Amino acid sequence: MLTFIRKRSVASLISLVGLVILVFFLSRLTGDPTDLYLPIDATDEMRAQFREIYGLNDPLIVQFGHYVGDLVQLDFGESIRKARPAIDVVLEAFVWTLQLAVITMALVTAAAIVVGSLAAFRVGGFFDRVSGVLSLVAASAPDFWIAIVAIVVFAVGLGWLPTSGTGTPWHWILPIAVLFIRPFGLIVQVVRGSMINALSSAYVKTARAKGIKTRKIIFVHALRNAMLPIITVIGDQAASLLNGAVVIETIFGFPGVGKLMIDSILQRDFTVVLASIMVTALAIFVMNLLIDLAYAALDPRIRH
Amino acid sequence: MFGKAITGGALLLATSLTPVWAQDNKAVTIVLNEEVDVLEPCMATRSNIGRVILGNVNETLTELDVRGDQGLMPRLAESWEQMEDGSWRFHLRQGVTFSDGSTFDAQDVKHSFDRVFDPTITCEAARYFGGMTVAANVVDDQTIDFVVDPVQPILPLLLSLVTIVPAETPIEFVRDPVGTGPYAVTEWSPGQQIVLTRRDDYWGEAPEVTQATYVVRTDPAVRAAMVEAGEADIAPTISQDDATNTATDIPYLNSETVYLRLDASQAPVNDVRVRRAINMAIDREAFIGTLVPQDALLATAIYPPTTQGWNPDVQVPAYDPEGAKALLEEARADGVPVDTPITIFARTANFPNVTEVMEAIQQMLQEAGFTVELQMVEVAEHEVYYSKPYPTDRGVYIIAAMHDNRMGDPSFSAYFKYHSEGRQSGISDPHVDDLITRASAATGEERNKLWSELQAYVHDEVVADVLLFHMVGFARVAERIDWTPTIATNSQLQLSEIGFKE
Amino acid sequence: MSNVPAMTDGTVLPDEPSAPRRFLRMLWADKFALAATIILLVVVLMAVFGPALLGDVAQKQNLRGRNAPPFDWERGWLWWMGADSLGRPLLARIIVAARNTITVAAGAVLCSALVGTALGLVAGYASRRVGEAIMRLADVIMSFPSLLLAVIVLYILGPSVANVVVVLAITRIPVYLRTTRAEVLEIRERMFVSAARVMGASSRRIVLRHILPVVLPTLMTIATLDFAYVMLAESALSFLGIGIQPPEITWGLMIAQGKEHLTRAWWLSFWPGLAIILTTLSLNLLSNWMRIALDPTQRWRLEMRGRSNG
Repeated sequence: MLTFIRKRSVASLISLVGLVILVFFLSRLTGDPTDLYLPIDATDEMRAQFREIYGLNDPLIVQFGHYVGDLVQLDFGESIRKARPAIDVVLEAFVWTLQLAVITMALVTAAAIVVGSLAAFRVGGFFDRVSGVLSLVAASAPDFWIAIVAIVVFAVGLGWLPTSGTGTPWHWILPIAVLFIRPFGLIVQVVRGSMINALSSAYVKTARAKGIKTRKIIFVHALRNAMLPIITVIGDQAASLLNGAVVIETIFGFPGVGKLMIDSILQRDFTVVLASIMVTALAIFVMNLLIDLAYAALDPRIRH
Repeated sequence: MFGKAITGGALLLATSLTPVWAQDNKAVTIVLNEEVDVLEPCMATRSNIGRVILGNVNETLTELDVRGDQGLMPRLAESWEQMEDGSWRFHLRQGVTFSDGSTFDAQDVKHSFDRVFDPTITCEAARYFGGMTVAANVVDDQTIDFVVDPVQPILPLLLSLVTIVPAETPIEFVRDPVGTGPYAVTEWSPGQQIVLTRRDDYWGEAPEVTQATYVVRTDPAVRAAMVEAGEADIAPTISQDDATNTATDIPYLNSETVYLRLDASQAPVNDVRVRRAINMAIDREAFIGTLVPQDALLATAIYPPTTQGWNPDVQVPAYDPEGAKALLEEARADGVPVDTPITIFARTANFPNVTEVMEAIQQMLQEAGFTVELQMVEVAEHEVYYSKPYPTDRGVYIIAAMHDNRMGDPSFSAYFKYHSEGRQSGISDPHVDDLITRASAATGEERNKLWSELQAYVHDEVVADVLLFHMVGFARVAERIDWTPTIATNSQLQLSEIGFKE
Repeated sequence: MSNVPAMTDGTVLPDEPSAPRRFLRMLWADKFALAATIILLVVVLMAVFGPALLGDVAQKQNLRGRNAPPFDWERGWLWWMGADSLGRPLLARIIVAARNTITVAAGAVLCSALVGTALGLVAGYASRRVGEAIMRLADVIMSFPSLLLAVIVLYILGPSVANVVVVLAITRIPVYLRTTRAEVLEIRERMFVSAARVMGASSRRIVLRHILPVVLPTLMTIATLDFAYVMLAESALSFLGIGIQPPEITWGLMIAQGKEHLTRAWWLSFWPGLAIILTTLSLNLLSNWMRIALDPTQRWRLEMRGRSNG
């Protein structure tokens, strides 16, 4: 397994380098930050000076050389907007995103597996129908609707929860509840589908014939068989959360990496874009590695 | 299962935390709409930064009165006069200390100035001094001379934009601004909050507010909800749709003017009849109270009516689609290619309802016989079309934009928008250039007269652009707070102006 | 549906009615699936005929009638859902917008599903080196922010329906790729695949005839849900000024425009949102029904009910 992890790390490092090169050059095709940073009535001297300070006059390849030179010394560059090291800005935001993602995905995984499995156990039954429709509505409703309505009802109307912000644990309830909905709806459906297959497999039928308890059949025997696509989809959803939950961050004032990334892209604050991509990509690579290890653990026939 | 957890938690919360939100002390919470990137005094003219520190943490030598009609008022300078050679002498206030304990004197002013123009950093305040060289010469501790080339009649007004920092301040951007203002920054957790606390050793009258907490919510509905729920006291900008409670929601002219810039170098827009037809084809009245707030004003200049040299005789073009058609036909008969497709470029989220306003304008122009397309673009692309050098490969286009001039003088707009060298100018007219140059150098009544003349000439003779609305913003203010927004609220919110009812 | 009978030929018993009739009967038996089919047919009809029939009405502005509330039975049926912030009838706009919406969503979902599945099959079945390379490529796509991709593509190429489809399709490739590959890794170890291999079936045949049918149901579930995801992602792009722009309309764009008015005129974003939900729901119910109807070992569930109902 260690060999596998080592090989994978090398491969991931290569992907990361590729990603950085790709983003570095492609993002510079989308314009120059000078006119976005400076006010519209800035003087020409200010513009020239700005380009000089941030090295924007150099040929692209020279700029890239500087960037890589700094990067190997773990210097990710300065954020133009925030006048601070880009990596500080990104890590500060990523901590919030990581917490949101981990808590939400833990809740989603637990809830979706239970609901999806129960739905699959009696296909077409009442529970299956109700949970099916509800989870589909959840997966396809615009999240800002739910967020705004939740604020209007729970914070303004009933006064139970704070509208937004980050001060106390109560501040986390609404954002996590809203964030929970879409991946939950999607994963319930995948769990259900995958479990229907697993429950009809010969393996489970044997277990049933042996007289093993229903609950044990569902949650031990069938689930283990059904887990591969479930884990994959959980990984996909977790990856999108690690890239930031823009709507939630915007509405609830959570200082996460999604809003940061959007703002830096729109403002062409390239160092922040690159630093946040490196951080989130690293997180996603690690997660994919864990998922691949989980495949092998769940199904010993899968060898790396 | 999850629902129960929420309800249970919420009940617990309702009993334990409510008192903290319902502050009955003299601390206020202000919810802003834009992230504060840096807290650098020389960037205070950028509105998201100025709202927090300008006049609260850092002060300026002079200050424009936006509540009354006193014009320019002394702040850190007690008085000033223009010397015979055209330079300006400022007499500074005594007994003023910075929040780090050091005493304020002329050296601090000089350093603040040098810092703004230092080539190793990009300070936004420098933008107001384009085309001038400014030298600050210390006469003694309480006196400083500014030698400006060319002579600058509105230098005292420009000095209301330069914040004063201690002479010890390093040149690079700071994260803990030190100033002479009534408040000092006591906490800054980026992305979460900024806290300003009242200083005991402020030179002026002590303001009522003891502490101010700034939070940022980009969604307008959430800002409105926060004041309603008692979590915030002031939301300087909420949306027109949310401003439904007359007791707490106050409209204010926000110094922004929406307009369409026409590029008079391109056919068919180079024909004045076509430009006039565009103006006549737009039913400005129809927008008021519908897509644009009821209190917005129809514009006849690119700056708001509170500006010096305002010309009350300039009239809004009457809505006359038939007249527009007739003008177009006339132009067509003279060989003007009036059927050339024109694209309107506008910026998403530039102002509330911008897409709808542009769609309506597109339809009005089409009804008058123009071939018009609309394209909404993000800010970086918008800038490509907005500023010179204009792209030449995008066909004929009109750009919709919003311009802010809260400074009370047309010189902050005229050169950029109308001079043939101006970065966003669509015209090249020697008479306009001459008027701008003369008005900028003039003083007193002469200055006002020249600006008035320019306003009328640009609007009626040149028909340089399509002026639409002086925009209105809405602030939501908690009932316990005694405060009204001003035309400068977008860029400055002095805590000393906040009082408490009862 | 035309290839349905062919796929099930082997299991049709001689005394049973013809395959299409059998399917209709099974559809009739499942009222949820029936409703879903009807809704989808309506959406398709809207997409095909909407722009031609109602294109002008949907663009005609009337500032005095802006934000007219829904359920005003006095006015024509087009106004039953109320009017938008320019006084245009929402119902007409939803009908007209169906074409762009479905084009973008179907285009993006089909492209990403096809490319993702194909790459996933290769990654799962080909040599380890190729598989590894494809997976790292998926990692790169997964960590490339979709918004940045959108800004780059649309900044350089300009916003158009086709470009939006490309952007959305690329960002959705990894989920199909990873799901397919994970399943292939497991399935290829199963008995029947080993048997096929021993019997000398080509890799291509094993992948397409033995492995793909097993993976397909999971992919269908994801693809139908991705419909909603793609429509909402397109809405986010429009909102940022890098997606489809007015006067073109899509349901996502309508939602984005209605967002500003959510607290006062809920109907502006509610109806297009409902359209997205209903479409997704129908697609999913239908695909759930199809996977049962197409699965010889599951089909009895529908037929049993069909018999007891009829």
